[in-house]
Order: sequence, then C-alpha cells, then structure tokens
Amino acid sequence: MDAFKVLEIKKSVYEGNDERADSLRAELRNDGIFLLNLMSSPGSGKTTTIVRTIEALRDEMAIGIMEADIDSDVDARAVARTGARVIQLHSGGMCHLDAEMTKQGLSGLGTRGLDLVILENIGNLICTAEFDTGASGNAMVLSVPEGDDKPLKYPPMFSLVDVVLVNKMDAIGFFDFDLEAFSARVMRLNPKARVIPISAKTGEGIGGWADWIRGEVKAWKGAR
Amino acid sequence: MHELGAVFEIVRTVESFARANGVTKVDTLVLQIGELSSMIPKYIEDCFPAAADGTLLQGTKLRIETLPGNALCTSCKAVFNPIENSGVCPGCGGEDWTLLSGKEFLIKEIIAC
Ligand SMILES: Nc1nc2c(ncn2[C@@H]2O[C@H](COP(=O)(O)OP(=O)(O)OP(=O)(O)O)[C@@H](O)[C@H]2O)c(=O)[nH]1
Ligand SMILES: [Mg+2]
Ligand SMILES: [Zn+2]
Repeated sequence: MDAFKVLEIKKSVYEGNDERADSLRAELRNDGIFLLNLMSSPGSGKTTTIVRTIEALRDEMAIGIMEADIDSDVDARAVARTGARVIQLHSGGMCHLDAEMTKQGLSGLGTRGLDLVILENIGNLICTAEFDTGASGNAMVLSVPEGDDKPLKYPPMFSLVDVVLVNKMDAIGFFDFDLEAFSARVMRLNPKARVIPISAKTGEGIGGWADWIRGEVKAWKGAR
Repeated sequence: MHELGAVFEIVRTVESFARANGVTKVDTLVLQIGELSSMIPKYIEDCFPAAADGTLLQGTKLRIETLPGNALCTSCKAVFNPIENSGVCPGCGGEDWTLLSGKEFLIKEIIAC
C-alpha cells in the first residue's frame, strides 16, 4: 500500500471571489462608476433609504439600482417609481451576492452613462460581510428597533463598512437605543467608519449621507 | 443556505491543486472554519458528497477543524473569545478590542496517496 502524504494548500475559500471582485472594481474604476453595496437585516429600511437617496441626488448624477431580494419585485417596483434605472436580480434563494452575480447584475442593468449604482444586498448581516461584491464602497443600515448592541454580535459586518446609517431615528423615543454607546462600539471595531443617524421616513440626516456619496463618487472618478 | 456554492469552489480549487501536484486520489480533505464564519460545518459536510460526485474528490473523506474566535483586549492585552464574553474582556471588563481570528474559511491540506 502507498504511504499517505499530507500536501498543504492553505488557501482561503474566498480567494477566487476576492480576485473576481478586485477585477470588477478595477473595471468600474475605469468606467468611472461608483458601486455602493448597501446591507442590513431584513426590514431595516434599505429600500426606503434608496428612494430618499435617489431623490436627493438624481439632479446631479445618473443613478442605477440593483435590487437583490429573494424572488420578489416589490422593492424594484418601489424604486422604479422614482424614475431611476433599476433591475431586479433573482438570487434564487441565495443569502448573499458574490462578485460574479454582481457583475451579471451590472450587465443586465446596463451601466453606460451611470455615475452611481446602488446594490440593495439581501437582508442579512452575516454572510453578506464575507463575500466581496466588487463594490467601491460598503454601507449598512441599522435601524433603532434592532438595538445598540448589534456591533458586538456582528463584528465582521461592522468592521467592513465605510458608513453605518442608523435609521428610524423618528422612532427613537420608543426604544432604549443609546446612540452614543452604539457609535462608540462601532468606532472600537472600525475607527474609519462614519455613523450617520437618519430617518428614511422623514428625510432627517439624508443630506449628510448624500454629501458622503457625493464626495466618494467624485474621488472615485478623480482617481481614474 | 450558502454553503453549496462555497463547496463547489472548494472542489474546483482542490481538483486543480491535485492535478498540478500529480495526485490522482485524495483520501482526506481538511478544511478550517472560524467560529465567526457564517459557514456551518454540518451543512458543508451534507453537501460535499454531491459537489464531489464525478470529480477527483469523489469518495474523499472530509475533515473540518474549527478555529476559535479570538479578540485582543486593547487595555490589558488579554486574548478572549468575543462571542462567549459578549464583547467584554473577562480580564478587565474592557470593551475595546480587535479581532485576531475567527472569520477564516480555509482549505488547509489534503491527505493523498
Ligand atoms: N418609522 C420609520 N419606519 C421606517 C423608516 N424607514 C423604513 N421604515 C419602514 O420599515 C419597513 C421596512 O422598510 P424597507 O425600506 O422596505 O426595508 P428593507 O431593508 O428594504 O427591507 P427588506 O428589503 O425586506 O429587507 C417599511 O414599513 C418602511 O416604511 C424610518 O426611518 N422610520
Ligand atoms: Mg428592501
Ligand atoms: Zn482586558
């Protein structure tokens, strides 16, 4: 009988996706398109925030939206009413998007002439943090009813994002959400992250969020 | 369930590694999964046979090692499990820490003959 031998591989399973994501990012950079990956738990307010964001920015840039909900087009229809270019991705029961699915979505959407594409990722704080979509920027929505302890429970997500939108601020009086403690927890995990309190319902804070996007889109195009 | 896609990727990677190294039969494949990873070992085990079917890895045994989640306390330098301790350092009660490990999902090695 042959002797067994151990062959070391030591390779991350995510490596293939990471490489595809990097090449998609490079393509988007060449084309001057800023891809924003928006993540959250189900129902935190991604779609409502996207509608507000389009309203704030549509006069100054061309925006496309990719909706990655699990086999329904409810969100895509809500967004289409704003007049923005939108595509519904059918993720077939998947719980996250990877770089390949994102790339397919972008070609389905048609990115010609667009400055900004927002991807509404699937409602989930866990595996969406593990798969690089090729986005130029990552943001998440955390709504007040979910509690201020979420950074302790989902460190990978909070370590990854550039911006945390704290949504449903209009309802903060009904919950024991401590914004200061929450921000401190985010800062400990991710000192570069920006915490922006908003209400997608009333429009509070959307101005600061739109400013951040403006700055990023400009920098992205400038780095071409 | 998102393990299936990852398992297909693993099978592809290991197959091409095996070919490149002149391996024709893999006895055991060893993976390492961090505790904070979203990949559930049980689901990986369940879908591995289907993904390996008809490939060089058909019949290969799968072994999964769990890597613990480790955090390093900024103030007292203690290393602790951030999930078990709800993000609070058991040494000094500090909440200021960085994540050292726990998110990994690695193809560690193959045992071949
Ligand atoms: N009070 C309040 N309700 C909000 C706010 N933003 C969103 N909502 C409500 O929260 C619910 C979910 O909002 P969506 O925008 O659909 O959330 P989502 O994250 O896109 O949800 P999924 O796509 O299903 O994961 C809806 O009933 C919204 O009207 C807010 O700022 N304040
Ligand atoms: Mg939605
Ligand atoms: Zn400590």
